[in-house]
Amino acid sequence: MSLVALLILLFPAAGAVFLGVINWRGSRLVNAVVGPGVVWAAFVCVLILLANNVNQDFTYWTWIRSGSFEVPFDILIDHLSLFMCLVVTGVGGLIVTYAVGYMEHETDGSYARFFCYMDLFVLSMLILVLAGNTVFLIVGWAAVGLSSYLLIGFYYWRRSAVIAARKAFVMNVIGDIGMILGAFVLFVSYHQVTYLKLFPALPHSADATTELAAFLLLVGGVAKSAQLPLHTWLPDAMEGPTPVSALIHAATMVTAGVYLVARFHPLYDVTVYAHAAVAIIGAVSALFAASIALVQTDIKRVLAYSTMSQIGYMFLAVGVGAYSAGLFHLLSHAFFKALLFMAAGNVIHALHDDQDMRHYGGLWNDMRRSSVTFLVGSLSLAGIIPFVGFFSKENVLGEAFSRGDTLGYAVWLIGFVTAVLTGFYTGRMWWFAFWRPASEERPVAGHLHEAPLVMLVPVAILAVLTTIGGFLQVKAIGGWALVDDFLQPVLGAERIRTQPLEYLATLLTLVLAALAFGAAYNFWIRGTWSPADWRARYAWGARLLEHKYYFDELYDWVFVRPLGRLAALTDREDRSLIDTGAVDVGTYTERGAGTLSLTQTGFLRSYVLVFVAGAVIAAGLVLWRALA
Amino acid sequence: MGPATLVFWIATLVALGGGLGVVLFKEPIRNVLSLVVVMLSLAVLFLLLSAQFVFAVQVIVYAGAVMVLFLFVILLLGPVREQGTVRLPWQIFISAVVIAAFAGFLVAMLRGVTYRTPGPADPLFGSVQAIGAGLFTDYLFPFELTSILLLVAAIGAIYLSRGAR
Amino acid sequence: MLLDASSFQVGSEQLDVSWFLLLAAALFVLGAIGVLIRRNPLVMLICIELMLNAVNLTLVAFSRQLNNREGQLFALMTMTVAAAEAVVGLAILVDIFRVRDLEDVDDLSELRG
Repeated sequence: MSLVALLILLFPAAGAVFLGVINWRGSRLVNAVVGPGVVWAAFVCVLILLANNVNQDFTYWTWIRSGSFEVPFDILIDHLSLFMCLVVTGVGGLIVTYAVGYMEHETDGSYARFFCYMDLFVLSMLILVLAGNTVFLIVGWAAVGLSSYLLIGFYYWRRSAVIAARKAFVMNVIGDIGMILGAFVLFVSYHQVTYLKLFPALPHSADATTELAAFLLLVGGVAKSAQLPLHTWLPDAMEGPTPVSALIHAATMVTAGVYLVARFHPLYDVTVYAHAAVAIIGAVSALFAASIALVQTDIKRVLAYSTMSQIGYMFLAVGVGAYSAGLFHLLSHAFFKALLFMAAGNVIHALHDDQDMRHYGGLWNDMRRSSVTFLVGSLSLAGIIPFVGFFSKENVLGEAFSRGDTLGYAVWLIGFVTAVLTGFYTGRMWWFAFWRPASEERPVAGHLHEAPLVMLVPVAILAVLTTIGGFLQVKAIGGWALVDDFLQPVLGAERIRTQPLEYLATLLTLVLAALAFGAAYNFWIRGTWSPADWRARYAWGARLLEHKYYFDELYDWVFVRPLGRLAALTDREDRSLIDTGAVDVGTYTERGAGTLSLTQTGFLRSYVLVFVAGAVIAAGLVLWRALA
Repeated sequence: MGPATLVFWIATLVALGGGLGVVLFKEPIRNVLSLVVVMLSLAVLFLLLSAQFVFAVQVIVYAGAVMVLFLFVILLLGPVREQGTVRLPWQIFISAVVIAAFAGFLVAMLRGVTYRTPGPADPLFGSVQAIGAGLFTDYLFPFELTSILLLVAAIGAIYLSRGAR
Repeated sequence: MLLDASSFQVGSEQLDVSWFLLLAAALFVLGAIGVLIRRNPLVMLICIELMLNAVNLTLVAFSRQLNNREGQLFALMTMTVAAAEAVVGLAILVDIFRVRDLEDVDDLSELRG
């Protein structure tokens, strides 16, 4: 079994090497098979481990040994990491398969490069979730940042893509630093890096050390999961190809923060402030992102903000201690958000890479299959029964509500408002982009080509999963809870018991979200209310939302410009001080060398004389020392 | 004055005369022959110091082989006398000062030490057995290194003096 | 017997090694003078040989004084080095003479700074 566990990592690694080094100018067909194939192979390995009910820390060799500091190369297989691996390889496999069709217009080299990056990304993500110690976790964490940088900047000839990639990388590195410092604090305090040894060493009540470590780790999680205030990279990252958006920004990478909190739940369980901070950050980010999504016109940006919002729900869940609820929402989100991105990708593909919803319309008639799947994803996102989004979101909100303290009610309220907003912006996206008659600005006027089978099948599979996946855990309406049970060995029994009032709150959320979804119909199809009037009435609000609460401007003003000025200043000083100094050193050395070279007369006998004189002086010194 | 002392003084005077010859003769052939004289008298002194093996090597290798090499070169190049203008006019004066200081230091150094007459030497001291045992046991590694040095010198000499470039 | 081996050596009478050292010093100084003031490169090489011989005498004298064979071993090594030096030096000389007619070592000053 230890080999199978290692193979999960080796397959994508081999795939990346094959595509990037060996076959990058080779057969396109081979690349199209190998790229997704290795991910599916890893998926099979995960299934084998799952079937054998493996629950073990596999240590392969000692990676670093320095005094008492010892880092093993180990893979921790437990139900949490298997759960994450299922999401990463399963949904990831569907997405990489989808990319076979989506990237068909690329040149051969770019095609291989794309799948190389994709496999590299899956590998990084698997390292992240399978790591059995904090050092290995950091490796995976940073590798995910790197491969997302590569994927976002895939269209490297496009300036905006390069800038977006750089932005994502910088934000992620800020998180990495927090993460590394957090791991360092844990190591310094408890002298352990391996999870299985670290967690028992933690104290049973909060102190400054655990709070500090938990906050620092949270910085890493917040950056990777695009939560406030390190979220600005996510919308810009939509510059990447759509399968990338689906893989990174929906299914896997952005959920790493949720996984981190769940993995370190023994730490967060003992802390008070850091744990509450997780919930508050999550709730505020959810509302914040949902409100911005109301006014975005780029379909992928709407999805990006909704991703941020849904990750906020997961943070909210793990922040109130409902870890398995958060992970269930992670799973559900992976299904329906990947579905939404890929269905949107079909449309974008058919419309020659136009992402502006104002140019859409008429898709229900022209691209029926993609539209149906998009509708399934939309309803799930809005939280309509019986789709998976309903069960997971209500599970999260129910857990928060039934916590029964101020924090619980506060984050529930925010989550509730967010759910209504989500219903509205999802409805807007659906009615406005898909249902309404074709826009006159549509880039392809006539009949649209429905996506090829290789793109439709993964979308269809995800649509099915989105439809039936909710029945894994129907806790929200009172019933079984398979995800809770599965994760119970790692995360412990669910501590929060449901109250009757919770069902009422659930019903209320469902009804209001559905109404909001329907209300969007009145805005954009029937014209009962006019969006333009509302915009005029709340002009300042619209402007605030369209500028995304001025976060980019704020960062530009607080960080980028002062740094730019400082750089300009140091550049000037560098030229006048350092450069001149360096040049002077050279000049004086040259002049001094010219002077000294006069002693090189070329006359052998002069040299001999100097040599003998030196020897005489040395002899004199020896004599003087001996006589003194 | 016993026989050893007598021999010592004769050899010393011959060596000093030869040394002066080395420095003062204008013809290179005479310089070389003076050096041979010095070497032979030094060989006698080695024998006085019970260094039989060094004596033999001095006569055979040094006076015999190395000096012959010098003679061959002189033969090859013809008589070369120092001619032309002197380009380092101060050389001789500065050299005199330096050498005087050096000689002064040497005498001072030798005067500062008291010597005792060593006892009679072990019959084996300086014999081929003793030197050979030293060369092939404790000093094998330096010995091998000198052999490599000779090899390198031989290759270098061949390279430098080969004919057409 | 007047001339048996044991009487014909230092230690059999009042002859200490300081005289040997003085002689070595004198020869060494002579050699140094030769190197410094003679302009014929061949003679300079010969003078270097003279200096090396003076050093050898010192080594052997101390070897006897201290009753220690290492001095003699070192003298042998010195001879080897001297032989190597003479060979390479002479080869260089021959090489130079092949190209030009050399009568003064001061002619060879192309490498001045």
